[in-house]
Amino acid sequence: MTTVTKTPQATEPASASRDTAARTRRSERRLALVFLIPTVGGLALFTFIPIVGSLVLAFFKWDVISSPKFVGLSNFIDIVADGTVRRSFLNTILFVVTTVILQLSVALGLAALVQSKLPGWLRSIFRSVFFFPLILSAASVSIMMSYLFNQQFGLVNWLLGHIGIPAVPWLNSGPGAIVMVILVYVWQNFGFSFLLFLGGLASIPREVYEAAAIDGASGWRQFSRITLPLVSPTILVASVMAIIASLQIFDQPYVLTRGGPGDSTRTAVMVIYESAFQQLQFGRASAIGLVLTVLIMLVTAVQFRLSRRFVFYS
Amino acid sequence: MTDISRRAVLGVVGVGAVAGLTASWPRLTGSDIPGRGTDALNVAILGTSQDAASRAGLVQAFNAKFPHIPVRILAIQGADWSDFFAKILTMVAAGTPPDVVVVATEGAQLFADRLAAPLDDYVTKDAEAMSDYFSDVHPALIESFMYKGHLFQLPIDFNAANMYFNLGTLSKAGLELPSSTWTVDDFLSTARAMKKSSGGGPFVSYYWTNRLWGGVVPWLYINNTSFLTEEKSPGGDWLWNRFYAGDPAAKGRSGGYLWEHSNALAAPVEESFDVLRTIVREGLGTSPAQGGGNQLVAQFAGGSIGMTPAGGYWVEGLSEAGMAGKEYDVQFFPKMQSQKAQFGSSGYAIMKTSKRKDDAWEWVKFCVSREGMKLAFPTPNTTPTRRSMCNEALFGAKGPAHWKVFYDTLDTLPSAPIPAPPQQAAVETALIKNVSGAVTAGSRSAMQSNLRALDRDLTQALKIQA
Repeated sequence: MTTVTKTPQATEPASASRDTAARTRRSERRLALVFLIPTVGGLALFTFIPIVGSLVLAFFKWDVISSPKFVGLSNFIDIVADGTVRRSFLNTILFVVTTVILQLSVALGLAALVQSKLPGWLRSIFRSVFFFPLILSAASVSIMMSYLFNQQFGLVNWLLGHIGIPAVPWLNSGPGAIVMVILVYVWQNFGFSFLLFLGGLASIPREVYEAAAIDGASGWRQFSRITLPLVSPTILVASVMAIIASLQIFDQPYVLTRGGPGDSTRTAVMVIYESAFQQLQFGRASAIGLVLTVLIMLVTAVQFRLSRRFVFYS
Repeated sequence: MTDISRRAVLGVVGVGAVAGLTASWPRLTGSDIPGRGTDALNVAILGTSQDAASRAGLVQAFNAKFPHIPVRILAIQGADWSDFFAKILTMVAAGTPPDVVVVATEGAQLFADRLAAPLDDYVTKDAEAMSDYFSDVHPALIESFMYKGHLFQLPIDFNAANMYFNLGTLSKAGLELPSSTWTVDDFLSTARAMKKSSGGGPFVSYYWTNRLWGGVVPWLYINNTSFLTEEKSPGGDWLWNRFYAGDPAAKGRSGGYLWEHSNALAAPVEESFDVLRTIVREGLGTSPAQGGGNQLVAQFAGGSIGMTPAGGYWVEGLSEAGMAGKEYDVQFFPKMQSQKAQFGSSGYAIMKTSKRKDDAWEWVKFCVSREGMKLAFPTPNTTPTRRSMCNEALFGAKGPAHWKVFYDTLDTLPSAPIPAPPQQAAVETALIKNVSGAVTAGSRSAMQSNLRALDRDLTQALKIQA
């Protein structure tokens, strides 16, 4: 057996003990600082400095090749006037609303089902099955889906053809493409919320349900009056994470539809990518990024504000 | 029991941290980035590490002649040329630009405008050696890499948008390969016959992809129009007079193309879009798919596609998919007001920032030599720009009966490159996003509305200073 630290002797005088305690605190602070340096350094290098750089860049015109040129608010005025940017933000909001509602509903419903009806071993299997899509690359999943839902040669239309349904333009029509991007995104991402809900549901004491059953509460009443309130802190966490992630949706629409047809599936992050890396308008891209960041912060703040009314913590 | 002091633990952790830091120093400082801090000539290509490895023979042969110029091939993967250019620009931004880059027509003017060094002096200096190359390469390909009177690249390969036919589906429809002067009406009747004889399975007479090459552009070109205005720069006489004097195909060649304004509202553009709308409406062709057409080879080889635009690059792909040359054939695009053909090309550009421009020129010169091009293109996975290399040896065994169409497109038809101004990425985005709406529009007025949107987006895109 090994010991790492030496504790002060109880017989030492009080002042010596205070000195030792102060020394220990100082030493612990130093140690904490040493352990924090890599994280803080990493965050500074890869998060804070780029954020500040991006903030500054939003007021410049820069194409990588030439020197940056200060343009004031011109980038912001341009993006407000640009129909594609406006549409991309509207699309992003549409994706956020639909994907978050679907993702949380599906995850909570399945988690409740798995938690209440299934034996432990089967629960483990479902936990893995539902989580599995999340560990796949979004690009690979999207490529696979684009094959499955190809209008002419996809498996889905081939199967539908067998029951007399004509080929559906899943990815070639505006509404079809929006639905596909939403479904593919939800299918791939609901597993994380599912795991969170499983944890939340497991922490609800069984006795509460037993007492409710004795009082004659049915399944739905139990769910709405016991499960939902008690799992509401988890819903808050899951929804905050889901909203922030879906505001940054990129891979699925980029691979499935390239933002089309027209601008129907173009999202804010796609416009950032196109502006920066295809059109060499890094200032404009930063301005769009800044607007998106402010939007994310606003939405998160509103969520936490609302949580005071709707989240049950005890 | 052993007491380990805090100091000892901290010491061990400290040593570990220093060791870790030392081990990861090359990564932290970026010195392990290929090409950084080394003396090699860095050549960036679009492709995988296997593509880079396949050029080992080329590098070896080059080094046999120039042992003092080590070459490193940087394979940069990308979904398409736009993706590749974005990554090259990231390398420029990171301060690690390559010396030489393979650039396709899509990026030729972007590079010429901002990143590439003109080759005029090198070509003039090595005029004797270059004469052999120019005498073997169609002037249209050279003109496509001229910009404002200067030459920025020497094309090594190209692909014209020709029409591929699955002969099985053609004969099932009771048809033969159309003549080289076939028209759009012939195309429509062929597509209708193919559809009728298909039996209702998963089949489409004409498959096309929504992109700059092989998308809507060939249909515009054959109607003698384009979605951008097409003008030409003055200049370039230094090249045409020196290397193409007496070549009738070089008559009227210029200092390069200029695509500066939208032409989306021109009447011939509307006519071409209406043809495509007819094709989609009647179910003769697909709603254009986005992307690079990766799903195409298997479907064409399997008989699910009757016709599709492709170039010489497809021969190897079809062969690998198990389709023999006698099972398909190739013809020019049909005729409308004209039969002007679209092509895309690629070639090496020397970066302005390169400190090894002379070495880079030796590489470029070697790659366009007969020896270099034979090593670069051992299989028919593209059309070499040297006419003498488009021969039986390259296409005969695996290619279709009319493989000569690949180069004849340049020799016998009027032709022009992919319209790609320096703002190509924004222009391509504008085009792609409006094409689907226009060709799937339920009425002519709805199509016109999409063309107005295309005009607006193109005008906006062309305002961007690349």
